[in-house]
Amino acid sequence: MTTYQEFIQQNEDRDGVRFSWNLWPSSRLEATRLVVPVSCLFTPLKERPDLPPVQYEPVMCGRANCKAVLNPLCQVDFRAKIWACNFCFQRNPFPPSYAGISDVNQPAELMPQFSTIEYVVQRGPVAPLIFLYVVDTCLEEEDLQALRESLQMSLSLLPPNALVGLITFGRMVQVHELSCEGIAKSYVFRGTKELSSKQIQEMLGLMKPAVSGQQGRPAAPQDPSATCRFLQPVHRVDMNLTDLLGELQRDPWPVPQGKRPLRSTGVALSVAVGLLEGAFPNTGARVMLFTGGPPTQGPGMVVGDELKTPIRSWHDIQKDNARHLKKSSKYYDTLANRTAVNGHSIDIYACALDQTGLLEMKCLSNLTGGHIVMGDSFNTSLFKQTFQRVFSKDYSGEFRMAFGGTMEVKEMGVGGTSQWKVCSLNPSTTLAMFFEVVSQHNAPVPQGGRGAIQFVTQYQHSSTQRRIRVTTVARNWADAQSQIQHIESSFDQEASAVIMARLGVFRAESEEGPDVLRWLDRQLIRLCQKFGQFNKDDPTSFKLSESLSLYPQFMFHLRRSPFLQVFNNSPDESSYYRHHFVRQDLTQSLIMVQPMLYSYSFHGPPEPVLLDSSSILPDRILLMDTFFQLVIYHGETIAQWRKAGYQEMAEYENFKQLLQAPLDDAQEILQTRFPMPRYVDTEHGGSQARFLLSKVNPSQTHNNSNGWTQEPGAPILTDDVSLQVFMDHLKKLAVSSST
Amino acid sequence: MDDLFVKPGNQERGWNDPPQFSYGLQVAGSTRSPLTKRGPPPPAAGLQAPPPCGDPSPDQQATSPHLHGITPPPHKMTTPTHRITPPPSGVTPPLSQATSSPCGSRLPPPPKGGPCPMSRPPSGPDSKAPCGPRAEPDPQPEPDLQAVSSVLAEALEACRQNVSRQVCEDIAKRLRLLEDSWTSGRLSSTVKRRMNALTLEMKSSHWSAADDIHRSLMVDHVTEVSQWMVGIKRLIAETRNLSPELLAFSPADPVQPEPVGN
Repeated sequence: MTTYQEFIQQNEDRDGVRFSWNLWPSSRLEATRLVVPVSCLFTPLKERPDLPPVQYEPVMCGRANCKAVLNPLCQVDFRAKIWACNFCFQRNPFPPSYAGISDVNQPAELMPQFSTIEYVVQRGPVAPLIFLYVVDTCLEEEDLQALRESLQMSLSLLPPNALVGLITFGRMVQVHELSCEGIAKSYVFRGTKELSSKQIQEMLGLMKPAVSGQQGRPAAPQDPSATCRFLQPVHRVDMNLTDLLGELQRDPWPVPQGKRPLRSTGVALSVAVGLLEGAFPNTGARVMLFTGGPPTQGPGMVVGDELKTPIRSWHDIQKDNARHLKKSSKYYDTLANRTAVNGHSIDIYACALDQTGLLEMKCLSNLTGGHIVMGDSFNTSLFKQTFQRVFSKDYSGEFRMAFGGTMEVKEMGVGGTSQWKVCSLNPSTTLAMFFEVVSQHNAPVPQGGRGAIQFVTQYQHSSTQRRIRVTTVARNWADAQSQIQHIESSFDQEASAVIMARLGVFRAESEEGPDVLRWLDRQLIRLCQKFGQFNKDDPTSFKLSESLSLYPQFMFHLRRSPFLQVFNNSPDESSYYRHHFVRQDLTQSLIMVQPMLYSYSFHGPPEPVLLDSSSILPDRILLMDTFFQLVIYHGETIAQWRKAGYQEMAEYENFKQLLQAPLDDAQEILQTRFPMPRYVDTEHGGSQARFLLSKVNPSQTHNNSNGWTQEPGAPILTDDVSLQVFMDHLKKLAVSSST
Repeated sequence: MDDLFVKPGNQERGWNDPPQFSYGLQVAGSTRSPLTKRGPPPPAAGLQAPPPCGDPSPDQQATSPHLHGITPPPHKMTTPTHRITPPPSGVTPPLSQATSSPCGSRLPPPPKGGPCPMSRPPSGPDSKAPCGPRAEPDPQPEPDLQAVSSVLAEALEACRQNVSRQVCEDIAKRLRLLEDSWTSGRLSSTVKRRMNALTLEMKSSHWSAADDIHRSLMVDHVTEVSQWMVGIKRLIAETRNLSPELLAFSPADPVQPEPVGN
């Protein structure tokens, strides 16, 4: 008999699915009363070293509007060689190749441990993967040199048969021909003029002229010998491209005093998307934009070229003082949608000390599954290593990145499916799905007592194979009237916290800030009213069961997080944090909401401690992981010992080891995380200690710390409410008969 | 093992830039269980209630019976088996053997102790601290340029039959660049050693290993090698496609440093 915790964990390990509720209420009304929607986090390409793909195609239900894939929940008649689809109940014959199956000789896809299974699709032409570099040349020489080197290095990291292309831009946009002959040629576009896809393809010579007798047919978009010129196999052009990259110059147009360089990012991206659209629609492709500043010219410009006009801040946006925001956001949104329709994705690598327009451009990556990497300079370890990790490989030496995904969801009884495009994915990409229970109130629990959902993800593997990953899960229905306690104990507070957080971020990006917090608070109060045990109007009697006890704490930290609090972050930073938050798996997302804190001291082995000011002690070293930063904080005494140099002395070897321990653990994280986090080494009194102090629950502040009763921990100078105060308010509101 | 190292980040250009890991370390990845455990829930919140009566639904194994041989990832941090000796209870005497420490007389020193395991048991390659010193230089003799370039030249010759003249010229040009850089002292010893290892792998027809070394050199030492390394990359790619009889390297030199493992 497993506990729900174990059940939840086993399911996540096997299927990459975490549901908010693991027992489903059987009516729509009851589902809404649960406050947290019936929903799940799903990681389509979860890494499964123990799950080799099968080399045959999936067996599908014959009904035209069903097409569910054969799975362990289907009833099978081995003698008659027939299976019943568990979604539409259609009886289907097995294909001839399954003639030999029997009770003791079952195909993998019928076995429960293969509720997640991956198929390799053999048919169809092999389409190469494409990497199109779009490079800003308005960079300082040091940065340009570092970027040149990183791009040259990346040619050694690309999949062997990939196609590669290069577009550079500054004031003008240049598309480089990568022919093998001696002379370098490029096609130049003006950075100010918006061009249609057709115009771009014509100007690049990608369109065959219309042949007479083919009236009414559009001009054939593909002229293979022409497209070869701009997108060539890397193994053929690597030497030429290395030289070309090595000779890249800074944008030659002089930048007058008090001005920004003219950067035509909008047109550059439009040319890139148009080139791929015309030449290789529906193949896995990545447009990789490398930019060192905001777009200042042409469609999609984010700020003008006058330095005295700063780039928009949150304050400007709230006061409706951001001139270009609406127009350029719309421009990039249209471009992003086109890219997604073509099955391509766009990455943004933005390295600059000031903002680069991520707020306007984020949809390019968010809608296509591309990455956003934000750094200070291309000549930093953060950029270089994060960029290297784009090409990282998994346990079997294959690239983690995957392309051209479409994900379909089938549910029993609804009779319909829903499909999404995820043009670029990796093993940690996680989607949140929300389900609506449609049964009427008081209708009987559906036949079989279980609901089933099937996720079918088709994608192009980095080896260019097409693959299909199928995950089929089921949960019991329960009648909320009589089984509310069972439903309550099936609550997954971690998954629910992340799901509600994603909903919050979605609202924050479309609504005003304070409204989101009010909404979040209201949901929390409703949840506590529904599931808390209390006597009316008696806050001290309030209690939550174990399956919900951590949830309020997650909400407390979420309210303070940079995902819902834009204070102290630029619009670009907020966009960047939110971008990563809504695509990571549950464990990483939870780290972002409520950072991990580990303590190292002489008093015992390293241990996780409360994210609280009381954990900050003079004789401890703390390691905090917020996902975006790794902070090592040395307590006051430790810092003094370090300064005095005790670690250099032989008889204080254990102190040296104490100092080393958090560094070793930090290294573990630094070696694998994408994107690479910032690394902060600080101590008591250090200015960088603020990263730790702003995250911990300020249970002790300058307002409430008492000089006489020396409680452990350092008081934090803040007016923020502490978790204790938050909980007190929550209990009061939950038990109140007037709320 | 000079392909496993950590360098500090570029603090001048990047605020709190993280340390830079060599290609070898990044590929090795993380071998310890991740830090995913949280501290105990706050006692002040006082929310705990006894679990509801009634067991979880008996039908919960609806989805599947228990997994066969699939273990969940470790939740808990593995704790080391030893505990270190607690600090002495008495106040330790002020420093007598300390070097010039201005606050030495008033700051009690840390508890003394010999080496004790402090962190979780390490596994994987022996790696240094972030921002620690670079790996010490290997006291091996520097490889001979002649040994390296002769292998490359022979490989190039073998390719001339099947590969276009243009490409061969391009590769030859880059081999000359390599030799120039080598003789004029622009290459570090690490690069020279690894190039030697690369050519040894080529001689033994271990193409993937050679390719891997080229990749690690591109990642770790791009500034030194970017001009010519792509020629080596191409040479490896072309030679591996040749039929074996076209490729015959001259016998191995009697004196060579230890080859890097495959």
